[in-house]
Amino acid sequence: MTINSTSLTVIPPVAGPTPELVLRRTRILRLPRSPKVIAGLVILVLFGLLAIIGRWIAPYSPNATDQQHWVQHVLVPGTGAATGFPASYYPLPLPPSAAHWLGTTVFAQDVWSQLLAATQATVVVGLLAAAIATVLSVLFGVTAGYLGGGADEGLSLIANVFLAIPGLPLLIVLADYVPSAGSSVVLVASIIAVTTWAYTSRTLRAQTLSLRNRDFVEASRVMGEGRLRIILVEVLPNLVPIVAASFLFTALSAIGAYVAIAFLGLAGSPTSSPPGLWNWGEMLREGFANNAVRGGWWWWWAPPGLCIALLGTGLALLNFGIDEFINPRLRTAGLSRKTARKAGIGTRPKLGMTPVAHHPPVAVASVRTVAEASRLRDTAEPVLEIRGLSVDYGYDEEAVHAVVDCDLVLRRGQVLGLAGESGSGKTTLALAAIRLLRAPALISAGQVLFHSKPISGDGPAGTIDMLSATDDQLRAIRWSEIAVVLQSSLNALNPVITIGAQFDDLLRVHRPALAESARWARSGALLDMVGMNADRLRSYPHELSGGMRQRAMIAMAIALEPQVMILDEPTTALDVVTQREILQELIGLRDRIGFATLFITHDLSLLVELADEIAVMYAGRLMERAPATSLFHAPRLPYTYALLHCFPPMHGPRVPMEGLKGSPPDMRDLPPGCAFHPRCQWALPRCRQEVPRLAPLNGSPREVACWLHREGTTVPPELAQPEPASMRPRRPETVGQAGGT
Amino acid sequence: MRALLRRLGVYLLAAWVALTVSFLLPRVVPGNPVAGAVARASQSGNCNSQCVEAIEAQLGFNVHTSLWDQYVQYWGNLGHGNLGQSWSENASVSSLIISYLPWTLGLLLIATAVSFIAGTAVGVLMAWRRGSWLDWVLPVATFFSALPYFFLALVLVLILGKTGTMLKVFPSLFGYDIYGVTPGLNGPYIASIIGHAILPAVTVVLASTAGFILAMRNNMITTMDEDFVLVAQAKGLPAKWVIWYAARNALLPVVANFTVAISLVVAGQILVEIVFNYPGIGFHLYDALGKLDYSLVQGIFVVITLVVLAANLLADVVYVLIDPRARQMA
Ligand SMILES: Nc1ncnc2c1ncn2[C@@H]1O[C@H](COP(=O)(O)OP(=O)(O)OP(=O)(O)O)[C@@H](O)[C@H]1O
Ligand code: SF4
Ligand SMILES: [Mg+2]
Repeated sequence: MTINSTSLTVIPPVAGPTPELVLRRTRILRLPRSPKVIAGLVILVLFGLLAIIGRWIAPYSPNATDQQHWVQHVLVPGTGAATGFPASYYPLPLPPSAAHWLGTTVFAQDVWSQLLAATQATVVVGLLAAAIATVLSVLFGVTAGYLGGGADEGLSLIANVFLAIPGLPLLIVLADYVPSAGSSVVLVASIIAVTTWAYTSRTLRAQTLSLRNRDFVEASRVMGEGRLRIILVEVLPNLVPIVAASFLFTALSAIGAYVAIAFLGLAGSPTSSPPGLWNWGEMLREGFANNAVRGGWWWWWAPPGLCIALLGTGLALLNFGIDEFINPRLRTAGLSRKTARKAGIGTRPKLGMTPVAHHPPVAVASVRTVAEASRLRDTAEPVLEIRGLSVDYGYDEEAVHAVVDCDLVLRRGQVLGLAGESGSGKTTLALAAIRLLRAPALISAGQVLFHSKPISGDGPAGTIDMLSATDDQLRAIRWSEIAVVLQSSLNALNPVITIGAQFDDLLRVHRPALAESARWARSGALLDMVGMNADRLRSYPHELSGGMRQRAMIAMAIALEPQVMILDEPTTALDVVTQREILQELIGLRDRIGFATLFITHDLSLLVELADEIAVMYAGRLMERAPATSLFHAPRLPYTYALLHCFPPMHGPRVPMEGLKGSPPDMRDLPPGCAFHPRCQWALPRCRQEVPRLAPLNGSPREVACWLHREGTTVPPELAQPEPASMRPRRPETVGQAGGT
Repeated sequence: MRALLRRLGVYLLAAWVALTVSFLLPRVVPGNPVAGAVARASQSGNCNSQCVEAIEAQLGFNVHTSLWDQYVQYWGNLGHGNLGQSWSENASVSSLIISYLPWTLGLLLIATAVSFIAGTAVGVLMAWRRGSWLDWVLPVATFFSALPYFFLALVLVLILGKTGTMLKVFPSLFGYDIYGVTPGLNGPYIASIIGHAILPAVTVVLASTAGFILAMRNNMITTMDEDFVLVAQAKGLPAKWVIWYAARNALLPVVANFTVAISLVVAGQILVEIVFNYPGIGFHLYDALGKLDYSLVQGIFVVITLVVLAANLLADVVYVLIDPRARQMA
């Protein structure tokens, strides 16, 4: 049984594994409709029904003895003359028959009737105890988390003390001194609740603590709403999934505890006075005490045991559903053989290698010549060629087509900018090229060719078809030839090992000839190159600032002198000054090592300084591609135009802001035709039906996917500005000063 | 060190609470149910005069001192390791517990170690090979995690135990062959101990592994989605290293939640010992309950609590050792 783990209260929440549980204002608990959840619900409903109607459908009273069928005095197996144990006799329990569906006990009582009575008591005690414990834990947890300070300390201390004391022994001692508890459902349930509430209270406290600082709670506080009101209206609804999980978890613990104390004979015997309740633990106790196992009378002891296990499984399965609701990462199923076959994936997918569907290996030599022949006008030779690449998330009809039919060529020593709104598929496109996307990603079409000429080291040379490369080939290329700096480098470093160790593993794998001391020296030199002290090798990631972590990542990225560097918004999380410094360093390194760069960003004005060429993406498609200055000063695509006018440019002349109307489209439900048409101020009737393809614009080295630029339409003046006089992108030295103008 | 000291403080407080509860319960429970029980039991012959005397003495019937004085005396006794006298065994509770403890601790240590290691390993494998046949472990593990320990014990006795009816392979009664071997440092005795520990240990392992599997699988899946794992893959590290990186991080919450796990295992083992008549602390707790030997019951409760608290402290120390962030705070 698991509730998603929160860590010890005084030790800070561990990185990563503690998921962001509650994201939005008030989420309803909508369980995923998986077989697990359905099975769990069916089991729970079944037991719920039995608990309610059991009283009426029971054929006998659970205590009644069936004198008519009772066969007396049977030798207990394993005793008697030959065994060394003194002979002992028991009445013979009857096996299942028409009169007794589950047979009888040794006292000739009907097992089925006992089971029904026991189901009621067990379920009621379980639910009641869970309800009491949940109320207790909500009271303690939420109050502690919300009030903070001294109240929090005190309440948490109480919870922690209760958590540390083992529940069952305490329960045993308590039940032992309150023998009458057995006859009172409420008393039993209360005692159990007292021993089980603490765990969930801790979880709730942690959650409340994190909610407390969310914007909307903060806002209500500023507006002067009362504490109680905030807790009831703003905080509690957000805790519903966790409270539900806690309830199921305590119900399971409570049933386990009740059955356990009953098995120990502490929950009151149904035949004593005051009479205790029939419950599954009591049935097992009687069976055990009367040698039911040795006698082979399985019908007596197996049903209550299986009931416990079944009900427990039902609760646990339902809890799984809640876990998956709280933490959607658990939901994405793995790629089974069957799904893989259906999706057209040939080989068994390996961890860390995005699967590729329907991919005939590219006849590398011929493609290369074709590519080169058709690109005669390009001076720099291509290093990474992406052709017609499509990527889906999901393997069936409901898959999201996150990247559709994209062509992109990265040339040696150049910077290719990739721009677009959030969710347009930039990261997906870039990571697909090195097959780094995780499940449920699937590369559904296209080619990626890597023309490798290693700068240093002994990486593979020649043209490599990335989509049919084996995992060994890919591993050899990764980082050594194509390095990546991820979008959010804050979590890109392994929190439990030092920075030095994270350089070391890299060098050990890709440069096996280097001795340990040489690896260490090289790592230090690399840190030095990005302006960090080599001592930092001994630091753990949490000891570094965000900027330092990013620098460390960049130092790591250049460690093996790669031919291609994929920079996915390398500076978004940083302040402007640090951003500038880091970009400067990157450009310096580029000039020194000469890698080609795929630079992903939202910020077109940044790209115009850095990039040789810019590609603009919208809703998974490339929509415009042009030399950086052309694109910036004379956009041809309405979307590019809107993008350029929605951020105030950081430098250069201010242009009146017109902005980008509407929000990015939902990738699961794209409009037909040009996906941009609902937001396009120049949309044509044709745009609603036909998807425009990327096509060269007559007479220029640029391409655009827009119906406005096809014959027979007049291009609005905003999109027909003259090409700027041929300009080289500005060199890095000027980047720093540009901001001041 | 500070975080660890704070935890130590929590555990000391917990120990104090447990001891005080065990002091107060017999003295303040309304209606004096123990006396009622004594009366009933002595009628049915379950409790001889010695028993009645012992219980009455313990309840403080004949002691004309205030509750506070009794409390002071209780702590004084505890300070000397004096947990009272067991009337049923006619020996001091502490000496009795010392003779029971090795059985329980041995079983607990071995079973917890095995189930922790096996459970985490299987959990890691399941997260690694999602979509393979290993997915079937999930419902099976869920079922096992819901199975009461003592029920599993009964089933194992039936199928494998010598006192069962089917295969009769492993001894399933007592801690060693009480008729065949003499206790001491001799081969047959040790062999007998090992043989008799197999079924109880298998029960505890089977029942507790499932919890570790589920917890580790979930943490592992969540961790594998972290950026640093993606970076490890982007770095071209071999798959095994990547898994190791993720597993090392996914283990942290499991260790942090060890408190809950160990309480459950201890509770389960008490019941398992009863089913197997295994001469540890759990079985004797049951025995003492039946004999109304309250001083023994309380002594055992106190010692179990202390053992669990010690295990918690150990888990905290391990946590601090494996998480550099906690180390910095500690
Ligand atoms: N694991 C996933 N499952 C389903 N859909 C996904 C998954 N990952 C991404 N997507 C979808 O794919 C689309 C492209 O995502 P991607 O991360 O490539 O966008 P992006 O352009 O990099 O955006 P940003 O600028 O915010 O980083 C998004 O619409 C997103 O919703
Ligand atoms: S194709 Fe039509 S809708 Fe799309 S950008 Fe061009 S004009 Fe606008
Ligand atoms: Mg992105």
